[in-house]
Amino acid sequence: MDDRLLIARVQAGDATAARELYDAHVDRVYRMVYRIAGDPDQAKDYTQEAFIRVFERLGHFRGDSSLGTWICAVALSVALNGLRKVRRLRTREVGLDGAVELGATPREAEPDLKIRLARAIDDLPEGYRSVFLMHDVEGYTHEEIGQMLGVQPGTSKAQLSRARAKLRQRLADFAKG
Amino acid sequence: MMLDKDDEPLEPELRDAASAYHRPPEPPREQMWAEIAARRAASGTPRVGARPRRFLIWAGGIAAVLAIGVAIGRLTIRAPIVPPTLPASNPIATNAPREDATAYRVATAEHLGQAEAFLTLFKASVRQGRQEQLASATARQLLATNRLLLDSPAAVDPKLKLLLQDLELVLVQIAQLEPAHRSEDVRLITNGLENGMLVRLRAAVPAGAGATSRQGAL
Repeated sequence: MDDRLLIARVQAGDATAARELYDAHVDRVYRMVYRIAGDPDQAKDYTQEAFIRVFERLGHFRGDSSLGTWICAVALSVALNGLRKVRRLRTREVGLDGAVELGATPREAEPDLKIRLARAIDDLPEGYRSVFLMHDVEGYTHEEIGQMLGVQPGTSKAQLSRARAKLRQRLADFAKG
Repeated sequence: MMLDKDDEPLEPELRDAASAYHRPPEPPREQMWAEIAARRAASGTPRVGARPRRFLIWAGGIAAVLAIGVAIGRLTIRAPIVPPTLPASNPIATNAPREDATAYRVATAEHLGQAEAFLTLFKASVRQGRQEQLASATARQLLATNRLLLDSPAAVDPKLKLLLQDLELVLVQIAQLEPAHRSEDVRLITNGLENGMLVRLRAAVPAGAGATSRQGAL
């Protein structure tokens, strides 16, 4: 269905249309948010929050990008802000309670590629990590990523390149030259 | 032109491993929709995302012009000299309640935001079997702020007071968790969180007013 028509119906208070909009985009949003957050509770919370904001701000959608990209941008913003808050709090807790590491396991040599790669991805700066996950894992284009993150596609490309470089460096013994 | 190596896709084995990173499960669609529908119903906004009506925009503009006019008037007209023998009214005292209310709102929003982040983290930590006792120091800090906000003379909103009182109970429970706590205590706390405290906190915290350059995405 045409996005404009769907938006108009939602704005007119059509509950079925609101559900249609949700159904059309929820899988993509949840998937992306889960990749970023890595936690089912957080992914659920951020997805819900994202759709509530989408419904509140539907009048702001100008059609510069597709509706799906705009919704993902809202979701990404919610997720990244939520994760920042959680990270700040974690840092504060560790500071308050001494040098006990939250849920940490010692960083020993880990033979499993998946685990080592996961750690390397976790350690990427936020921008690199988001772009890497969205492009190389979820398959979004640089144009879409640029629209979601509010950056130029060139910036997205540069961040992806740096993310890959960092990952290759961390996993040099696995990567084949 | 030669491609930089880092412009090339990752090696196949790294790509495969990356696809397993935070692999999403099936989304809990109905559960999430129930929550979204409940929150939309609670917010009492039947017309979602409607643009403000034209007359509201005009009214807003007129109000802004009037406010600027009043502000210029106050700045340019001298205040009448009050005879020292008369009991002078204290302008600070006159404006104080309004300023107090604004400061209280800001402080409460900040506090509720921190509490929401803390409880989200606590819930996630418990679920992942982490050491919840680390949370007690933060809970105690939040508890102190919560008590100050509850005891403030500016705490006049009954709904907000109720939320702060309920939040206090949760924070007390977390603050009192002992290192060798019973898992039953933690289960009760997390049940309480799942039964609406987090949702109420999120509903009470105003959406972040960030940049709006992304078509209102932020």
